Amino acid sequence: MTDELDRILSSDDSLEPSSGFAGAVMGAVRRHAAEPPPIPFPWPRFTIGLVACATMAAAGAALVPRIEPMALDLVAPLASVGSELGYAGLAVIVSVGLARLPGVFARL
Amino acid sequence: MGEGRMGEASDDDDDADVARVVGGDLEAFEGIVRRWQRRLVGLAWRFCRDRAAAEDMAQEAFLKAFRSLRAYRGESAFSTWLTAIALNTYRSRLRAEGPALLAIDLLPARAVEPGALRDLQDRERTEAVRRAVLALPHRYRDALVVYYFQERDLKEAAQILGIAEGTLKANLHRGREMLRGRCAEFAPRPGDPVPEGTR
Repeated sequence: MTDELDRILSSDDSLEPSSGFAGAVMGAVRRHAAEPPPIPFPWPRFTIGLVACATMAAAGAALVPRIEPMALDLVAPLASVGSELGYAGLAVIVSVGLARLPGVFARL
Repeated sequence: MGEGRMGEASDDDDDADVARVVGGDLEAFEGIVRRWQRRLVGLAWRFCRDRAAAEDMAQEAFLKAFRSLRAYRGESAFSTWLTAIALNTYRSRLRAEGPALLAIDLLPARAVEPGALRDLQDRERTEAVRRAVLALPHRYRDALVVYYFQERDLKEAAQILGIAEGTLKANLHRGREMLRGRCAEFAPRPGDPVPEGTR
């Protein structure tokens, strides 16, 4: 005697796909095939950027203690105008420089 | 071309169509879809008991298979490879969409109470058991659904599930025990045979 639960679970439980199913699948496949391939991740640029960032971070860590007195000397004249204005000017110069970096990398 | 299922489709047909699709003949994929649609929709149906959801899930599985066709190396039978893709697709969908897709609300509350199935008609009873399977923890649900879908072919079911045959046997045993616990009518009586796949 077959186990009753086994008999129930073994009984036919099929479902006929609707008549348009294969057509719908092929439609989806054709749409998928017509899509442009995904843009690959720009690994070369990403790598260059990463290396540049790491280099700049390392160079900054090494050079800042040495150039800090020079920078203070440069900023000192501005201090007479106002220390806040001096720092703001320096920030603008640094920002403009950094903003140009992506353009430099893009041309590489 | 007939709307076949496993057994009616030959490996040669599948291999030839795979080669044509990989070679750029998109329309050759239709042969694969027509041969295997009944099987993939049938498996999805066993996981969700809803026609629209089953066809939607099967379509997603076919699309995944199409995208992965280049990765098919013929190391396993095409049916095993395709069914494994479908199974993973269905499991992901069920996990993402949660129990709402299982339409548990249609499951009579009495179906999971001990002895409650006694007075139900055989068809209702069968449906209630199938829905009770879907309410089991996923590892037991998957084991029971795939094992019976594969017509109790333990080796093939284990391959599709990506687990060892021993693990599948244990999951089947535990799943059946849980089902029996939920449906006291099926509690084993002395002298009842042990179902295949649990020995």
